[in-house]
Amino acid sequence: MRVLSLLVALGALWIAFPARAGSVLRARLNSDIVSTDPGTRRDENTDGVLLHIVEGLVGSREDGSVAPMLASRWSISADGRVYTFTLRPDVVFHNGAPLTSAEVVWSLQRYLKPGTRWRCLEVLGANGIAPVTSVTAPDPHTVEVTLARPAPIFLTTLARADCGATGIVHPDSVQADGSWNAPIGTGPFQMGEWRHNQFVQLKRFARYSALPGPRDGNVGGKHALVDELRFMIIPDSSAARAALIRGSLDIIDNLYPADLMGIRGREDLQFQSVPILDCYSLLIQTQDPVLRDVRVRTAIALTIDAKALTKAITRDTGSPNNSPIPVASPFHGPAEARMRPVDIPRARQLLKASGYDGSVIRLITSRRDPEMFDTAVIIQAMAAQAGLNVQIEVLDWPAHLARYTTGNYQLMVESFSPRLDPTLSFGLFIGDKRQEPRKVWDSLRARALLDEATQAADPAVRQSLMDQLTLDFLAEAPAVVLFNSSRLSVVRAAVTGHQNWPSAQPRLWGVGLH
Amino acid sequence: MLGYILKRLLLTLPTLLLVSVGVFLFIRLIPGDPALVLLGEGADAASLAGVRADLGLDRPLPVQFLTWLGHAVRGDLGRSIFSGEPVSTLILQHFGLTALLVLTAVTLATLIAITAGLVAAWRQDSAIDLAVVGTATVVLAVPSFWLGLVLLLLFGVKLGWLPFVGYVPFSESGVQAALFLVMPIVTLTITESGVLTRMMRASSIDVLQLDYVTHARAKGLPESTVLIRHVFPNAFAPTLTLVGLTLGHLLGGVAVIETVFTLPGLGRLMVDSVLARDYPVVQGCLLFTAVVYVVVNLLVDLCYPIFDPRVTAR
Amino acid sequence: MNGKIGISLIGVLLLTIVVGLLWMPYDPNAIDLAHSLSSPAAKHWFGTDEFGRDVLSRSMLGARISVLIALGAVGLAISVGTALGVLAGYLRGWTDRLLMMVTDAVLAFPGILLALALMAVLGSSGSSIIFALAIAYTPSVVRVVRGTVLSIREREFIEASRAAGDNAFRTMVRHVLPNIVPPIVVLATSLFGWALLSESALSFLGVGVPPPAPTWGNMLSASRPYMDVASWLSIVPGLCIAGTLLGVNLLGDALRDWLDPRRRS
Repeated sequence: MRVLSLLVALGALWIAFPARAGSVLRARLNSDIVSTDPGTRRDENTDGVLLHIVEGLVGSREDGSVAPMLASRWSISADGRVYTFTLRPDVVFHNGAPLTSAEVVWSLQRYLKPGTRWRCLEVLGANGIAPVTSVTAPDPHTVEVTLARPAPIFLTTLARADCGATGIVHPDSVQADGSWNAPIGTGPFQMGEWRHNQFVQLKRFARYSALPGPRDGNVGGKHALVDELRFMIIPDSSAARAALIRGSLDIIDNLYPADLMGIRGREDLQFQSVPILDCYSLLIQTQDPVLRDVRVRTAIALTIDAKALTKAITRDTGSPNNSPIPVASPFHGPAEARMRPVDIPRARQLLKASGYDGSVIRLITSRRDPEMFDTAVIIQAMAAQAGLNVQIEVLDWPAHLARYTTGNYQLMVESFSPRLDPTLSFGLFIGDKRQEPRKVWDSLRARALLDEATQAADPAVRQSLMDQLTLDFLAEAPAVVLFNSSRLSVVRAAVTGHQNWPSAQPRLWGVGLH
Repeated sequence: MLGYILKRLLLTLPTLLLVSVGVFLFIRLIPGDPALVLLGEGADAASLAGVRADLGLDRPLPVQFLTWLGHAVRGDLGRSIFSGEPVSTLILQHFGLTALLVLTAVTLATLIAITAGLVAAWRQDSAIDLAVVGTATVVLAVPSFWLGLVLLLLFGVKLGWLPFVGYVPFSESGVQAALFLVMPIVTLTITESGVLTRMMRASSIDVLQLDYVTHARAKGLPESTVLIRHVFPNAFAPTLTLVGLTLGHLLGGVAVIETVFTLPGLGRLMVDSVLARDYPVVQGCLLFTAVVYVVVNLLVDLCYPIFDPRVTAR
Repeated sequence: MNGKIGISLIGVLLLTIVVGLLWMPYDPNAIDLAHSLSSPAAKHWFGTDEFGRDVLSRSMLGARISVLIALGAVGLAISVGTALGVLAGYLRGWTDRLLMMVTDAVLAFPGILLALALMAVLGSSGSSIIFALAIAYTPSVVRVVRGTVLSIREREFIEASRAAGDNAFRTMVRHVLPNIVPPIVVLATSLFGWALLSESALSFLGVGVPPPAPTWGNMLSASRPYMDVASWLSIVPGLCIAGTLLGVNLLGDALRDWLDPRRRS
């Protein structure tokens, strides 16, 4: 009798608290991560994985705005130069040590050291637009950061995913000689095994204290619902798709549009499409002898039917757009929504007036993602309608990157990963070519407008500056923005709670398995 | 014998050196900066210069090469620019898989070739001969990766009998690993058996016409003995050369099959590291491949006397 | 018999190329985004690809381009390889040893990797593929030619030529060259097949003739994402390659039989 009641009690417990022993969520990466050191040696995939492990003082909300993460609040001094962050009291590192200002100061100072190769050092370092002069800890729960001059861009920079969200890590993350070991962060998952070119394993951190409230961006309500995340590295997208169908994979949250076929309509798979803040565009080298003439550039722009191109390439999931401000951005208003109409006769007129003699114009693309490649093929065909002799040059990614960085091209198809702030979006195009040859738009007026927008805090002022920039951008055509894509994700029916967001980072907290 | 082997190996040293210099210069000729790929687009000049210095890429070329060579002769092939793993570990891991794949496939293909080739030659111009030659010729014409894709589509996707992503190494599960290798091995076996069969058949036909075969038959020896003990050993030599050449060429050629089936083999490692400009990995892999190529050639040459007593190793 | 099949297959290929020079059902590069991925029908006999381009026209143009690339690579490899092989085999000594060392070094590079790296340096274009493939195949030609030269240089008519006072060069041209033609012809047919396959393998790995120009190889490579929904995109170029290779191999067999006195029966 006693044994029976014991068994019943145990059974009741087992039903009430079902053991999620060993629940593994298998996601996919299309290439291996570069390192586990946030914001240093990285690419998009690396950022995506590491942001499950580390968190910074601030993070991003669903709409891209800056929100508190490890800091519960902050205040800015009257002269705009001193930021005082108050840390949350209940946060613990993966190794059990509590989060105090000492670790925050250590992390920030490490990022600011040139030897760390932190990506945002060019903004927050001595030569940047918001140089940090000191980081101190007045008490164990407060951190004070002083800038050389006031800069509204400071918090946005701290939140940047490509800088590892300035993730705070414990000093034990580095070895005695200062070289990187493994990330000991504060996030809902901790680092597991990294088997190169096969998978990256993350394990649930049981002592994670989530911010109250629903899931919001990469700050709110981060609950790990599975015991293990396994990012399988599968470069071939058709193989990944087939694996999903067969059940060897649970989530593909970054599907190529071409792989949609055979997926839409299946009952055992759920499909989701969320517009993201990325940017596919045709860059034009305004210093090239042929393309220096704005009439030639405008002619090229007039041949491109962005709507048809977008529909074909993204299989109707993307949004055609001629403005650098992405369609999903809160700053995409009527001015930004204007599309340049297709006008082949006018394009021919302009070419004739400019004296274009039919010489070869080289268009560089790569196979890094199929959209870039397909875009080049379509642009070449469309431009030919006006008599433009465009020849495609396909480069592999390192060569493409080199040509982009040095500005060594005539035309180039380029895709930019999401930028959550409109000034960052325009910042992709605007700059001084002598310092940054990769920037296509060199005009003094544009640079001045962008500086103004970066300093402005009032959203209405920023919006009108963005509108002005968009108008100038369409008139001068230093590049032709084509479309913003959507993040396409497919999950198996057993997966619950998955939701993509405009920053395009994978988000596997709050995601469970039946 | 030992002296002969040593002498052969020593003679290959200049070739290996030439290969190393060639690879070193060649990979640096390809446009693209590993530091830039490492840091991503938009990285600033100071960071790039710093990373290049970290990687030793800012030193003069001869210094870079001699440093690498100095380490290489002691067995230290450096570390991958992208993953930081020791190159020698990477190579051995990946080579294990490729070697398994290639050796199994080539052995099976050779066995098929010997059997089919001998039988076809023995019954020349019969229906069997036509079938063998026809099949071998058609098989020769099919691109290997197309065959692989078709098999993957059929057995992996449509029928679901065999797995094809997320390769599991032997250390974790022998059965799973074997299942992953079935399709690639079958693809490779089919593709390679064509040319080997034709060669075996051609040389068997030649040998069957020689005098001593006629004598053996006249002596009243059963046909099977004639075939196995007299025809086969002599006919096999050219096929053996071809096997050696095939093994050497497949070391890199298997890259395409490995890409189709997403296998972490040596071929794919080489292609991926060239495309990523991972200099130490490329240099290490090619040196390793050259050494393997040399060793395989040597082994093939040593095997000749087993099959043809007229050929002796000097 | 084999020869006849071979000749007919090659004949079909040549016919396709010649007809393609004069007329194709559609412009192979004309895109028609509204009708992408349509299956074979009366309007498009082999269907259309992901940009709405007519697959039949692209296959015809692809035939021309793929064959030209293969011919170019083989021609270059054979010319250079024969010259070097004859030099090495006939002159022997240091010339031979040096050439053999370089040849072995190149042979130790996996062929596909060599071509891949060469194209990364030279940039992707038709001429760089020809050049890259030629470099990858020349060592094999050198080896074969050298081997043949070695075996015939001791023969009597060579001795006679030397005795008659011909210098090395004249002997090479008048006596050695004609005798190495048979193995070279056979080798050339094999190389042509390999060149076709290599071009498609290189396209598969991502380097190759840049778009929009079609080759059977890059058509095959581009068909991958659509294999289960638009299988004609992979079947057509695959069959083209296989058919051509079959024809070339059968023709090569027939040639070898014809050139080899022992086999004539």
